[in-house]
Amino acid sequence: MEDLTLVLRRTAKEILEKGEAQMVIGWEKGAFWYSSTSAFISKPEDTERLIWDEYCVNNLAKYLLDYRHKEGKVAVFVKGCDSRALNVLLQDKQLKREKILIIGLACPGMKDEVEARKLGRGSSIPLYKKCRECRYPNALNYDFFIGEDKVIKEIPAQDDFSEVQALESLSPDEKYNKFVANYERCLRCYACRNICPACNCRECIFDRTASGWSSKANNVSENMFFALTRALHVAGRCVGCGECERACPVNIPIMLLNKKIIQDINALFGEYEAGTDVTAKLPLGGFEFTDPEEFM
Amino acid sequence: MLVAQKAKLREILNALSEEYQVAVPVQREGTSAFELYRDGIEVMFNGNTSISPKGMFFPQTEKMYGFKTVKNTTEFVSLPVEQGKRLLFGVRSCDMKSLDCLDQVFLTKGYIDEFYKQKRERTVIVALGCNEPGETCFCASLGLDPQKAAGADVHAYDLGEVIGFEAVTEAGQKVLDLLKNHLREQQFALPPVGEFYLKPEVAGVPEKLKGMFESPLWEEIARKCLNCGACTYVCPTCHCFDISQDVRGEKGIKYRCWDSCMFGEYTQMAGGHNPRPTKKERVRNRFMHKLNYFPERYNMLLCTGCGRCLDVCPVKMDITSIIQQIKEAK
Amino acid sequence: MCACNCDCNHDHDYDHNSVSSTVTSNPLIPMRAKVINIVQETVDTKTFYISTLDGEKPFDPQPGQLGMLSLPDIGEAMFSVTNKGEKHIEMAIKAVGELTNALHEIEVGQEVGIRGPYGNGFPLDYCRGKDLLFIGGGIGLAPVRSLIMHCIRNREDYGKLTVVYGARSKGDLCFKEDLFENWPKVPNMELFITIDKEEEGWDGHVGFVPSYVEELAFKPQVTVLCGPPVMIKFTLPVLQKMGFAEKDIITTLEMRMKCGVGKCGRCNIGSKYVCLDGPVFTMEELKDLPPEY
Ligand SMILES: Cc1cc2nc3c(=O)[nH]c(=O)nc-3n(C[C@H](O)[C@H](O)[C@H](O)COP(=O)(O)OP(=O)(O)OC[C@H]3O[C@@H](n4cnc5c(N)ncnc54)[C@H](O)[C@@H]3O)c2cc1C
Ligand code: SF4
Ligand code: SF4
Ligand code: SF4
Ligand code: SF4
Ligand code: SF4
Ligand code: FES
Repeated sequence: MEDLTLVLRRTAKEILEKGEAQMVIGWEKGAFWYSSTSAFISKPEDTERLIWDEYCVNNLAKYLLDYRHKEGKVAVFVKGCDSRALNVLLQDKQLKREKILIIGLACPGMKDEVEARKLGRGSSIPLYKKCRECRYPNALNYDFFIGEDKVIKEIPAQDDFSEVQALESLSPDEKYNKFVANYERCLRCYACRNICPACNCRECIFDRTASGWSSKANNVSENMFFALTRALHVAGRCVGCGECERACPVNIPIMLLNKKIIQDINALFGEYEAGTDVTAKLPLGGFEFTDPEEFM
Repeated sequence: MLVAQKAKLREILNALSEEYQVAVPVQREGTSAFELYRDGIEVMFNGNTSISPKGMFFPQTEKMYGFKTVKNTTEFVSLPVEQGKRLLFGVRSCDMKSLDCLDQVFLTKGYIDEFYKQKRERTVIVALGCNEPGETCFCASLGLDPQKAAGADVHAYDLGEVIGFEAVTEAGQKVLDLLKNHLREQQFALPPVGEFYLKPEVAGVPEKLKGMFESPLWEEIARKCLNCGACTYVCPTCHCFDISQDVRGEKGIKYRCWDSCMFGEYTQMAGGHNPRPTKKERVRNRFMHKLNYFPERYNMLLCTGCGRCLDVCPVKMDITSIIQQIKEAK
Repeated sequence: MCACNCDCNHDHDYDHNSVSSTVTSNPLIPMRAKVINIVQETVDTKTFYISTLDGEKPFDPQPGQLGMLSLPDIGEAMFSVTNKGEKHIEMAIKAVGELTNALHEIEVGQEVGIRGPYGNGFPLDYCRGKDLLFIGGGIGLAPVRSLIMHCIRNREDYGKLTVVYGARSKGDLCFKEDLFENWPKVPNMELFITIDKEEEGWDGHVGFVPSYVEELAFKPQVTVLCGPPVMIKFTLPVLQKMGFAEKDIITTLEMRMKCGVGKCGRCNIGSKYVCLDGPVFTMEELKDLPPEY
């Protein structure tokens, strides 16, 4: 990926020099060899900071919201999952397509930084689970594409719901206990929400504690209320980028809940893969006369 | 030095449990934290806990008092408070330092926070020295001794097969007296402390920050921040709280809970005015508080070098690099 | 949150039998008190008179100090104590949200929680013997009023008292009884009252506070001002033009507050806490703080 870093820098530099965008959002190296982090470049000479390596897991799409009301265009680098996230933001009408310049990448899968720290430099580091399961490694919607427009990673034929099914096979008590064990440790730091591209409400109900809907107290029931509400609020728009789970400081398996809902949406409303088609209608964003309506 | 075989730690903790409510660092699902000791629980020796022990003194949610409102009457009821001596085993130097910071906040400047004080006073602390700093640790750069935590009642040392103990305070001596039958005297030299990877140079930073409120650095640094509460919630020194209530009919409980200056709603005022409306102001407040405001007010940094914030930050905001950037800023 | 009165958060691992005594003299726990009188000042502002249940003053605040008032099932908020009597304290409260709206619903006799007094209050020693100019806008007169009342009670200790007070309309003027009946009778005290726009039944001055201050024919020694940010913003240059030194311009600030005792961290401006080191600051002190309020 080393040489692609150079292409990436050159592309960013050209964009800034030609004034095609005011700023380029990409990645740069963090404090450790296994950490890459978001970089916001607005001077051509600073493009030297940009990198493209197997730790560029951070989904940059959501940052675009910070600049939606600013003058000018912002350019952003996207992997497959980031590109799906960006599509969701466009579908949600949170962004104007003409205000962003999208530079697509072909993603070989990102390495798990937690494992990297554990195993050490030089050892073989496994990919993130979501990357092993990823079916759309290439950017889907872009103005430029960097690298070769071909799949550089093995693609599973289907989404893997085996963990969801394992969970479903438990008894109600077992399910509940698992749920409690996970959400007992939630800090309610909202990192999962704040990093999530599908969590794009202007004002989140969990920031409106005066409304009485939710309380800031940290206890299992409030935490579960948060988890379930968030899962349902992103239903049909969660692209499976896994950022919520990666962001969680106490490693709650948030994706399990997301996948359960993706599976159910597939079953109830027909197969749907969020963010793969920017023109698609959201499964929960409208209704059909054939929709199930068991509780209405 | 008094020593015991590590394999005998269980007996030691069991013996202490007869006198104290004991809490120890443990690995648990997805994270690690201090937990009440139960016979047989495995004490975590490698590295510090992901969740700091501050919650032992300043819980994330803490009930303060009860109340009852019937018609136009209002009654306040004080809640039972847990009593009895507690012992925290395995607190690291950075987290000991954080208690020093929290003591300043909660016990000085005219008002005493009784909730904190009550917990602080009934707790003896056995600190555990670090020989091998974690990858994100930088306490030594802030002048701490990773092996000997200032303020602890007992220093414990990880000496491989054995654990060494040295009493520092009277309360600590009492703890070791209790363990007389479990400890033996033996000469031991402390192993050398391993190399730190992160070495921010903090000298001069608080003073320099005084003139940097309007620096363009803040806007740049803040761009990547998500304004979540992860860094402040895992930080052993962050102490901001909110006060709210849980009401069930006529009865209710007033509680306080951790809050974070990273949240937008934190400083929101009536009429829509917010003195810290964007990421820039919030991020600036966090680092200014840690590196300038707190030193101005209490004469110490509000950072202990525990490295937890840079460990958990989903976008790798790194206080050591920010210290460096402040140093280099024009 | 579990309703039992244990000290745990949600897990019941703790041994409840070890629970015994209670926390006392805790600055975060309010005292039981009662509303003994309510005065409707404007459409959205009422003054509440508060006493202890046995009819005593809950605490003895200095002018400019604060109190944390609560309806415990709704919330708790900080208000300036706008005046004190022998057996009560007064708070003028504008309805802006959850708690303040609920307070506007209550009737005399309602029990409330109160804690305080908090904050530094006005520098009485510094003001003593001097000619004082008080400038207020809207509800901003509330904190200033505590000092005016103090000066009136100790009339001989202070020089000339001049008040410039403005509100959006006649109906928005607070403390009308003081403005039109009590204060005009006070010796060596002058009042300048203004409203923003012409209005039927108003033959007084019309215009904004800053320009009215500019029209003053003489310059007092110390000025105390409080009002909405725009009023402060436009009045400050006027005061500077009039020749007030920064140390002679005194104002009170508001920040979001929770604890009131310098612990919760919420009300900081730089290294100062408004609840503890304020709310009263001179312009000279503010100049040293980051402009983040
Ligand atoms: C030092 C000080 C002195 C004050 N003196 C007076 C006074 O004499 N008279 C008076 O009417 N008001 C005064 N206030 C303002 C008063 O505290 C707020 O109006 C009150 O807290 C609003 O509470 P609420 O529950 O009704 O509003 P909420 O429902 O909590 O909120 C409504 C809006 O007010 C904001 N808010 C909440 N708390 C505060 C706060 N403490 N300060 C500013 N905005 C806040 C919220 O973010 C929201 O935007 C003072 C505030 C301070 C800090
Ligand atoms: S819920 Fe998680 S996986 Fe789904 S879009 Fe949001 S961050 Fe990505
Ligand atoms: S990131 Fe994890 S700890 Fe934080 S709110 Fe989300 S689930 Fe809870
Ligand atoms: S610095 Fe990191 S952990 Fe802290 S609020 Fe910002 S994104 Fe969250
Ligand atoms: S600021 Fe970061 S490194 Fe410093 S004490 Fe807090 S969590 Fe630890
Ligand atoms: S950094 Fe923020 S959350 Fe932490 S103590 Fe300071 S103001 Fe509070
Ligand atoms: S209100 Fe808590 S510190 Fe000021």
